[in-house]
Amino acid sequence: MIRKRIVIVNKLGMHARPATLVVKTATKYRSEFTILKDDMEINGKSIMGVMTLAAEFGSELELVADGVDEEYLIKEMEELFASKFGEE
Amino acid sequence: MKKIKGISVSEGVAIGKAAIIHREVLHVDRKHIKAENASEELAKFKKDIKIVIAELEHLIQNYAFSLDQKEILSTQKMILADPEFVNRVNYLISEENCSRENAISIYFTEVADIFRNMDNQFFSQRLTDYEDVAYRLLSHILKKGNNRLGCLNDKSILIMDNVTPSFVTRVFEKKIKGIITVKGSRNCHSSIIARSMNLPMLVNASGLLNEVENDQLIIIDGNNGEVIIDPSPEVLLDYENQYKQEQNQKEKLLKLIDVQAKTTDDKIIKLMSNIEIPEEVERVVKYNSDGIGLFRTEFMFIDREELPTEEEQYKIYKQIAEKMLPEPVTIRTIDVGGDKLSRILNLSHEDNPNLGCRGIRISFENIPIFKQQIKAALRANVVGNIKLMFPMISAVSEIYQAKEIIEECKLELKDKAVEFNSDLPIGAMIEIPSAVVTSDVIAAECDFLSIGTNDLVQYILAVDRDNEAVASYYQSCHPSVLRSIQLTAENAHKRDIKVAVCGEMASEPRFVQLLLGLGVDELSVSPGRMLKIKNEILNSSLHDSQLLAEKCLQQKTSAEVMKLLN
Repeated sequence: MIRKRIVIVNKLGMHARPATLVVKTATKYRSEFTILKDDMEINGKSIMGVMTLAAEFGSELELVADGVDEEYLIKEMEELFASKFGEE
Repeated sequence: MKKIKGISVSEGVAIGKAAIIHREVLHVDRKHIKAENASEELAKFKKDIKIVIAELEHLIQNYAFSLDQKEILSTQKMILADPEFVNRVNYLISEENCSRENAISIYFTEVADIFRNMDNQFFSQRLTDYEDVAYRLLSHILKKGNNRLGCLNDKSILIMDNVTPSFVTRVFEKKIKGIITVKGSRNCHSSIIARSMNLPMLVNASGLLNEVENDQLIIIDGNNGEVIIDPSPEVLLDYENQYKQEQNQKEKLLKLIDVQAKTTDDKIIKLMSNIEIPEEVERVVKYNSDGIGLFRTEFMFIDREELPTEEEQYKIYKQIAEKMLPEPVTIRTIDVGGDKLSRILNLSHEDNPNLGCRGIRISFENIPIFKQQIKAALRANVVGNIKLMFPMISAVSEIYQAKEIIEECKLELKDKAVEFNSDLPIGAMIEIPSAVVTSDVIAAECDFLSIGTNDLVQYILAVDRDNEAVASYYQSCHPSVLRSIQLTAENAHKRDIKVAVCGEMASEPRFVQLLLGLGVDELSVSPGRMLKIKNEILNSSLHDSQLLAEKCLQQKTSAEVMKLLN
């Protein structure tokens, strides 16, 4: 299991489009993927879950991947968040 | 007989039978199933999801042209495949023995509560996506509101509360007579599409649903913005005659699609189109347009929650350019007042937005956004014949500045080894009086000029177009406007470049001869008006137009000019 803390750096936060990208990316892997924010814990492969995080600019998240390809999942996720979802 | 007022979106008369399509309120029974039927119910649920996903896929492939709409529908697809959703519904079916529609409804009610309790409106408004999916799925299961298109035929006038752009395209294929909506506005995307298809449409007909029943005879009077329900025989006869006349004219005009726009004395006039959204391109291609003379790019920036990326713009420009080949596509950089962009750009309030930070000024204030737009155009220009046009130019110094920024963009693309075509013609919109007066120096720096008559009239006469109190001062054929057009054309021709008119004046048949006579080389008009204007060109001689323009230029007042034109 890998845990990774990240901060939302794109201005608009994780709204519909980024949320879709997160789920699409997570679904490519076999590992389980969970996102934690404050006292919430959601399934990162669920669009509903990711949307309900309502993660705004500056929010702190913890990404947790668990499974055979966990490293790759976390690596691609980190890149995705760092790229500001290709928005800015 | 009853009359209801609305706002006309596209002109013309339609007579037909009311076909009301409601978004029915779906009633879901809190039904339970027998435990032994649970596995059968689970299988049915799985199948329902599969069918609705396929339906969404069909919509994405065939009816969603804009990236925006595609994204919305893709998100809906993703919701249906959401493991949390599927697991929760499966649980409700197998453990609590809910019927599938009951389970689905329970799940979406839970979801709606979560969204409603969010503090950030930006996130909570996405609830509509979930409501749409729930509706799609439940109406499929309950077999209600499902066969929505089935009840339409070539005699129908569709009545809806509101209509989506993709639905307008679909019902158009059913050859319906017209559309009336209770909500909507003249410039929403659905209205723009109906207008470019010349499909009679009336919006904002409030109260209509209380007055009309299915299959009742109704008339859309798009010329006066009225719906007539259950007309008297005399009124009906009147409208039938009007309708026949319009149809005859339409048929005559349709024969002109393949005819080249030229005057009786063989001067070829480039007849191009103005478009506001990518969906209109289909029409433009069908009408055999000589190109796109004005592609307004504002749709990507307003009513959106995020700015478009360079990549998104590139894809849109490329798609349009490819469809138009070999004809040119003139992309105008954003031309909105700060008031419309304030939400995404954090702009401050302006007391006088028309004289404030709009047009090219917004671009200069937000260089990264400007550069994205330029780079997207440079890249799309690899496959297409693209031109770039700048709005609200008040002095040639702004052209210098824009050119410098274009050069920077080219260097940045080169550094990143991104492919682009550096041969990108640029032009200035001539719509501010200072640009008219100095059009000689501006022409020297441009590859073409385009006169935006709407703003030109507004600025040269100091009259707000939207202020009814001064509406009578807004005179398109004021002598100052005619002289401005003539001077601009003369200065453009001295530099051997073309001058176009892309304002509303070009879309009005009665001004065509005048504009040609004043020296205008190209007209760019809304797609729905193309054939009407072409007809006018075909019946004009350049020589007579020049004589007419000369005479008009000698008049002292708008009224005198109008007299000559009528």
